[in-house]
Amino acid sequence: MTAAVTADRPVPTTPPAAAGASRPGFGNVLRAEWIKFWSVRSTAWSVATLFVLGAGLTVLVCATSAEWLAGDEADESPASFVTWGLMLAQVTAVVLGTLVATSEYGTGMIRATLAAVPRRGPVLAAKAAVLTSTLLVAGTVTAFAGYLGGNAFLSAEGIGLSLDDDGVLRALVGSGLYLAGLGLLSMAVGLLVRHTAAALATVLGIVFVVGNMAFLLPGGWGEWVAKVLPGNAGSAVATPVSFNPELLDPWPGFAVFAVEVAVLLAVATVAFRRRDA
Amino acid sequence: MIIARDLTKTYGPRTAVDGISFTVEPGRVTGFLGPNGAGKSTTMRMVLGLDRPTSGSVTVNGSRYADSPAPLREVGALLEARALHPGRTARNHLRWLAASNALPATRIDAVLGLVGLEGVADQRVGRFSLGMSQRLGIAVALLGDPAVVVLDEPVNGLDPEGIRWVRTLARQLAAEGRTVFVSSHLMAEMALTADHLVVIGRGRVLADCPTADFIARHAAAHVRVRSPQSGELAAVLRRSGAHVTADGEGLRVEGLDTSGIGDLAGAHGLVLHELTLVRSSLEDAFMTLTADSVEYGTTPAGAAR
Repeated sequence: MTAAVTADRPVPTTPPAAAGASRPGFGNVLRAEWIKFWSVRSTAWSVATLFVLGAGLTVLVCATSAEWLAGDEADESPASFVTWGLMLAQVTAVVLGTLVATSEYGTGMIRATLAAVPRRGPVLAAKAAVLTSTLLVAGTVTAFAGYLGGNAFLSAEGIGLSLDDDGVLRALVGSGLYLAGLGLLSMAVGLLVRHTAAALATVLGIVFVVGNMAFLLPGGWGEWVAKVLPGNAGSAVATPVSFNPELLDPWPGFAVFAVEVAVLLAVATVAFRRRDA
Repeated sequence: MIIARDLTKTYGPRTAVDGISFTVEPGRVTGFLGPNGAGKSTTMRMVLGLDRPTSGSVTVNGSRYADSPAPLREVGALLEARALHPGRTARNHLRWLAASNALPATRIDAVLGLVGLEGVADQRVGRFSLGMSQRLGIAVALLGDPAVVVLDEPVNGLDPEGIRWVRTLARQLAAEGRTVFVSSHLMAEMALTADHLVVIGRGRVLADCPTADFIARHAAAHVRVRSPQSGELAAVLRRSGAHVTADGEGLRVEGLDTSGIGDLAGAHGLVLHELTLVRSSLEDAFMTLTADSVEYGTTPAGAAR
């Protein structure tokens, strides 16, 4: 007789409009997005992958290259190797940033989100804050772990880098900054495209494929196009000495990258506020 | 109370909702009835501020939904039961919703208990059946203990027990003084649930009246009679006040029941070959009313011959 039991169960609610608790503000929206972000498995997996790739590959590459780097025929600086893994780990930041936006469109969840918080600006700001803080911390921690592990092998060969050395500390914090920016860029593209695969292909294509091929463009303008593409402009800050001598200097490059991210986010915000959910 | 005035929504050249006006009053269940593609869901999305009306307006308790600081406490809605992240548990889904509107965590267990999902609250919703998803959607709608409840096709995918449960719940919510707005494409279900009906087809309001009136007006019965002396019979029936029209080989009689017609025929020595009570169902009434407004109609198999 479960039918009767369920159907006749009383509604344990108070009379309408009795729930006059505190008026929700941005903190509530932020908390909601934080719960949403961490209550799906893909977040933990992405952050774990970021750490394993970022720190693990740095250690591996330093361990296998230390002897060569200490030798006479080395034509690269050891400083280029202490954040090596972040070059691949940035893919996870792209995935995480994209999913923050597109997973809601793929499932239709966006309508639940905007029914709960109709003001779209705060929704976007909360998503950006949750994503940025996570990537900033995860990126910086990963870079430090990779440096500590990898540098141990370099030090054993007498070519270790100290945190005081030129650009080392900047690169470790810069790794967090770059990944946070890349995540935001991916989120913006995700909001515009509203489709996971399309957004991933767009960002990965621009950062990895177009970014590398652009250096083949002829002439002065080609060189500049290559320099200002987001993956190229933004990544210099994440390594003490870049493998690529043609990149912009770390901070000017990051400033260009930040402006690009800001512009794309602004466009995405306008679209997000205007379009039907 | 929900008030829509000249609400219109166009998507490019297609008009989904065409200047509809209606009022959903508190204290009763208002059924929002129409065939698929009639504009029900589009209207409900506009009520919730998710889609912007091309023109016209809709207010909930006197103000636009989007202006509410804590909308879940004013309006609870079930829009699409499957619009969930499959990897999130039911409890976590309710947790973020509660957090967003500063609702006490005690409401989460209250609504989980109410819809009977407390046993599976920590399972990922990807494993839920459609019926369980519908129950979770109703839990979401009631989370903020709102005065206005909007349910889009809540009985989709539910078994008979679940359908009865939703019906009882909707009636109970209305009895508590809440405004209850329930959409469906099933006339029979609405006849049992709703006190008032707003019927739409192709984005226009076709009827807006109490359910009882709708039934009285549209679900009338008549008697079909065949007689070799149909001319004389028709005259006799008309004299006693019945409304008689030709119906194929026989007569269609309204205003007299079968025994009345049989008695009259016997008294006048007229022969009857058929005497049948024909009851047109509510479903038929609804089909007739919306026949011209079905977007993706099919030709009945019989008519195709």
